[in-house]
Amino acid sequence: MASSMTAQVSASKRKDSALTREGDQLIITPLGAGNEVGRSCVYMSYRGKTVLFDCGIHPAYSGMAALPYFDEIDPSTIDVLLVTHFHLDHAASLPYFLEKTTFKGRVFMTHATKAIYRLLLSDYVKVSKVSVEDMLFDEQDILRSMDKIEVIDFHQTVEVNGIRFWCYTAGHVLGAAMFMVDIAGVRVLYTGDYSREEDRHLRAAETPQFSPDICIIESTYGVQLHQPRVIREKRFTDVIHSTISQGGRVLIPAFALGRAQELLLILDEYWSNHPELHNIPIYYASPLAKRCMAVYQTYINAMNERIRNQFANSNPFDFKHISPLKSIENFDDVGPSVVMASPSGLQSGLSRQLFDRWCTDKKNACVIPGYVVEGTLAKTIINEPKEVTLINGLTAPLNMQVYYISFSAHADFAQTSTFLKELMPPNIVLVHGEANEMARLKQKLITLFADQNTKIISPKNCQSVEMYFSSEKMAKTIGRLAERMPEVGDTISGLLVKKGFTYQIMASEDLHIFSQLSTANITQRISVPYNGAFGVIKHRLNQIYESVVSPQEETDVPTLIVHERVTIRHESESFVSMQWSSDPISDMVSDSVVALILNINREGPKVMPVVENKTEEENERMAQKVTFALLVSLFGDVKVGEEGKLIVTVDSDVARLNVKNGEVECENEALKDRVKTAFRRIQSAVRPIPLSTS
Amino acid sequence: MGTSVQLTPLCGVYSENPLCYLLSIDGFNFLMDCGWNDLCDTNLLQPLSKVSSTVDAVLLSHPDMLHIGALPYAIKHLGLSAPVYATEPVYRLGLLTMYDYYLSRRQVSDFDLYTLDDIDSAFQNVTRLTYSQNYHLSDKGEGIVIAPHVAGHLLGGTVWKITKDGEDVVYAVDFNHRKERHLNGTVLESFVRPAVLITDAYNALNNQLYKRQRDQEFLEAILKVLRANGNVLLPVDTAGRALELLLILEQYWSQQHLTFPIFFLTNVATSTIDYVKSFLEWMSDSIAKSFEHTRDNAFLLKHINLIINKSELENIADVPKVVLASMPSLEVGFSHDIFVDWATEARHAILFTERGQFGTLARMLQVDPPPKAVKVTMSKRIPLAGDELKAYEEEQERIKKEAALKASLSKELRASQGSDANAGDAMVIDASSSHISADVAASRIGGFRDIFMDGFAPPATSVAPMFPFFENSAEWDDYGEVINPDDYIIKEEDMNGASAQGFGGDLDGKLDEGSAHLLLDTTPSKVVSNELTVQVKCSLIYMDFEGRSEGRSIKSILAHVAPLKLVLVHGSAEATEHLKEHCSKHVCPHVYAPQIEETIDVTSDLCAYKVQLSERLMSNVLFKKLGDYEISWIDAEVGKTNDMLTLFPVSSTPPTHKSVLVGDLKLADFKQFLASKGIQVEFAGGALRCGEYVTLRKISDFTQKGGTVAQHVIIEGPLTEEYYQIRELLYSQFYLF
Repeated sequence: MASSMTAQVSASKRKDSALTREGDQLIITPLGAGNEVGRSCVYMSYRGKTVLFDCGIHPAYSGMAALPYFDEIDPSTIDVLLVTHFHLDHAASLPYFLEKTTFKGRVFMTHATKAIYRLLLSDYVKVSKVSVEDMLFDEQDILRSMDKIEVIDFHQTVEVNGIRFWCYTAGHVLGAAMFMVDIAGVRVLYTGDYSREEDRHLRAAETPQFSPDICIIESTYGVQLHQPRVIREKRFTDVIHSTISQGGRVLIPAFALGRAQELLLILDEYWSNHPELHNIPIYYASPLAKRCMAVYQTYINAMNERIRNQFANSNPFDFKHISPLKSIENFDDVGPSVVMASPSGLQSGLSRQLFDRWCTDKKNACVIPGYVVEGTLAKTIINEPKEVTLINGLTAPLNMQVYYISFSAHADFAQTSTFLKELMPPNIVLVHGEANEMARLKQKLITLFADQNTKIISPKNCQSVEMYFSSEKMAKTIGRLAERMPEVGDTISGLLVKKGFTYQIMASEDLHIFSQLSTANITQRISVPYNGAFGVIKHRLNQIYESVVSPQEETDVPTLIVHERVTIRHESESFVSMQWSSDPISDMVSDSVVALILNINREGPKVMPVVENKTEEENERMAQKVTFALLVSLFGDVKVGEEGKLIVTVDSDVARLNVKNGEVECENEALKDRVKTAFRRIQSAVRPIPLSTS
Repeated sequence: MGTSVQLTPLCGVYSENPLCYLLSIDGFNFLMDCGWNDLCDTNLLQPLSKVSSTVDAVLLSHPDMLHIGALPYAIKHLGLSAPVYATEPVYRLGLLTMYDYYLSRRQVSDFDLYTLDDIDSAFQNVTRLTYSQNYHLSDKGEGIVIAPHVAGHLLGGTVWKITKDGEDVVYAVDFNHRKERHLNGTVLESFVRPAVLITDAYNALNNQLYKRQRDQEFLEAILKVLRANGNVLLPVDTAGRALELLLILEQYWSQQHLTFPIFFLTNVATSTIDYVKSFLEWMSDSIAKSFEHTRDNAFLLKHINLIINKSELENIADVPKVVLASMPSLEVGFSHDIFVDWATEARHAILFTERGQFGTLARMLQVDPPPKAVKVTMSKRIPLAGDELKAYEEEQERIKKEAALKASLSKELRASQGSDANAGDAMVIDASSSHISADVAASRIGGFRDIFMDGFAPPATSVAPMFPFFENSAEWDDYGEVINPDDYIIKEEDMNGASAQGFGGDLDGKLDEGSAHLLLDTTPSKVVSNELTVQVKCSLIYMDFEGRSEGRSIKSILAHVAPLKLVLVHGSAEATEHLKEHCSKHVCPHVYAPQIEETIDVTSDLCAYKVQLSERLMSNVLFKKLGDYEISWIDAEVGKTNDMLTLFPVSSTPPTHKSVLVGDLKLADFKQFLASKGIQVEFAGGALRCGEYVTLRKISDFTQKGGTVAQHVIIEGPLTEEYYQIRELLYSQFYLF
């Protein structure tokens, strides 16, 4: 009781705390991918529940610098971490986060993502050329993280600590998901990378059934528009065809997994349809992709109908015209060829080695098939500089043809705007986009949603977006308590049971029906040594308690019942027994009875004069004194004012308390309530206990 | 007040007949499963036919005949047209099961209750869901949410949870709480206190051996026969329990490096395994884990030969082998034929892994003692020859003519109704009506219906033979010829070129070549049957690999779930009665076991209304945390804001209420707790003796599980320090409100 009072006092110091309770504030903070592309990581917290979306690294940096700003948050407070897809900029800091921080929540991703994640990160550990102390994690960390990652299927609803979430198909790559999170009725959609265009093997992103309150959406392509897929594919195959027919070599720097599979499907099909090309080799330099083939072959249910139909016939990922290439040493570089190699940014590795070798010959071509991250060589050569720096530090003229034909499955402006128009979220948070591109998109979206009251925000890294949601707490009254619909002014008393974010009000008798909790009755039986006459006990009890009666029915031994609570039986010459059902008041009554019996024992028979009761007035004065003292201890400055009113002053607020009826006059509602409650509780403490109520 | 819930069994109560129940929730009719027995007894569907048109949605729970068998027939002949909901594996494996069944039947009889096309079209309207997907129904079912959950037993097996207004109706039949090689156990136990639980009593009287022991005995039994140079036949279902058996054998064979060949023989064996390989996300955690780590698909079977006809078996007739063949009933299918071949030799063995359906050959062989001889009908489809062929051809010719005549008549009729006469049409015959196999063939190849005859054999009835000529009957309006824009759209798919060819539809892709051959074979054929008596000399073994929870577990699961109302279906009369009696004592007082077509009302008598909790009230509430729950006592006054009932803090001093102790006292736990506090404790005659004098007893604990009464604890003792000390400790186990 005391602790609750102090809690209230300290709360009273915060002004208008009743209006904006902390629980109703929703915070979204990008820890990465805020006004940038790479290291996606978005923190969200609402009503004490915390969700982290994605956990990537920035491909242009290495070591700690590539991580999202994890030091902005306390990892131990995060309940759920949701990873949308396996790309490094969305998943690669996961082993670090799981193994090297205090994070102890749960992690979810789709089946396909998990299977590829493991292969991809092992590969990442192997190829990243940083010193051992700069390594964020090693193979062992990845293996350990695998045990902590849980899987979720598309549309499957999972609930963790009252956070409900499920995911939708996002297109983009195999297993990519958009997460919808529902905390106490507020829905947040995090799209991750998504594409609304169906391609050779993936489904287009779904439109969620429900409109979210907040949509955190990628803005990689900003206001750009993609060419239709057919035209892009034609350009792609034409460029390749013409280059090799002139005797040139084609380099396609592509990330090992995801879009590469789509390009291989295109190439393999094109070669099948053009027998004249059959002597031109296509190499795919990725042992990783080969290892991932089993995953692609297994999770066909995450792909589109078209590929599933093909799968019925033969495995479409079993390419007929494409051969694997282990390393540059095994590469017999004579005559025209097509090589697809990673990494996509030409930072290092095989794609860079080939680039260095081929960039001076103008017959050769480099086709950049997807989004390139700021700061990589691939981004540089798109602008076709005269010279480039080779990996050995020398400069060389850039004579090879550079083509940029985007196949990266990100939404363009048309897709983004239709998606948002279908969803109509009242709040849009833009992430995962380069600052200028994002600003342009923001402007355009603002004009687009001008007539709606849509808020569009593009926070920078570590910049928090705060929103407020009025949460109406609804409770369901069930069982006995609900047998009758209440009228206004009725009183409802019962147990309020909260589970997750649902509230139920029920009678205590119903508790075990509607919850897994159960109630208990404790009956106490105690024997007290007593060798006096039973009548003496009765006499003494009568002096203290109003209701001391003998039971209606016959009993074998003399029996008394005090206030229908405690039964006293004169079992034998040497002791009496007492029986009652535990609850604080009965315990108190029984204690007093025990004390009384022991006293009789000690004092022996003695005639006690009946003491005249104190007058009402004296009692009343006594009560007032106690009330005053308690109020002083609670509020400090309490004075007795006119007409017997008490004046309570807290800071500059003044409350006038009428001790007669408990009315309080005060301009500050919060203080008024507090004084009222305190007074009510004091009253119930100083007045006699109403024993008769049961 | 509560949601109205009624259940009408249509088939499968007080018996082991197939499952089919009508569940009505606030007037929305769900058909829970749509099963048929192996004998395709149309009488069983009588009750369904009366209500099939009122069904609003069909929910399927398992991909076997008992749960989905009647779906094609009901849709084709009984006017069932509601959307169907199932998980992806139930859909896919169910489809394969139906194919296999149809093909097996068709091989030995002129089965005409439904065709492959009917199966395809029945499964076309299946909406596929994933586990724990909350699917919101629309229109008539507004407000109802259905969600499939893991049931175990078969791949994709489903416990359906139907929610309306916060009240759950759970339909859980044939679940398995145990984790198996390829499946996780059911999540049924996580649903606590649903308003209604519908479950089966099928296994209520069965108790199983421990899994490991059973597996061991199973493998030993097989090896014993093999080593004695005998063959083992396991009659299995198409794509259900067979998968578990395959895994058991596969694992054991690779562990022990055995070389005895194993065959999996159904009409769809290869495609079954192909699809199963892509269902890893529906299987057990260990399978998913091994795939994530090593990328070894568990269903990449190295020791098992997938075959789709018997000829391969005959090639290695004298090698001891294990054959898993469909159907489990032994009535039809490969298992039937193999049984007849092998039963007469004592060295072979038939190993049943599930109880046969009532009235089937499998059931007859499972009785104790097994019959010495059984009568079986051997039927075979053979091509027609000689006179029969001639007669058949004449008959076909006649049918063709009639059809042509009919066609021309109808055309003329149409012609007379307005448009130009179209003589050429007489030459267009409807291939689908010529004969059944051709029908299958035509629809198998593609969607086309009309086949052009070449004009060389004009039907005699045609008045003026001429080449087909079609009147350009284009309509014109004010803007010119009315065109259909769709005709001019260049389909994007076209550019996908060759790879997309040859797929009439999603369903057609996966039929095995062999069975396709069988279907496409349009040579006229007939079925010859002869009855013969087979001397059963081979050993007959029965081992329970049904993968259902056994009696004792069912009871404890039910007690844990503790539904407010319980409905029992599917199970022999004794099992149903037994479970009913048990549950009404130990689970809940409302246990129902309705008869066929008896509608029972299981509407919960629960009263409920919603109120808003005002901020002012909530700021004064102090919750106490108990496990997942947080509890507090409130006294509130009802008010109204915006037409919503709202609770505000009471203005006057609330009346004191009877205090409530919340908590669950386990004497055993409490004993340990006391011991840890340095008090001597021991159990004596059901009571706990604490210290020297104090005894603690708990009464009426057994019914408490079912939630009928609160627990009652009695503490007794003389007035001592110890008494108060123990009482204090006892109080610490509870929360007081």
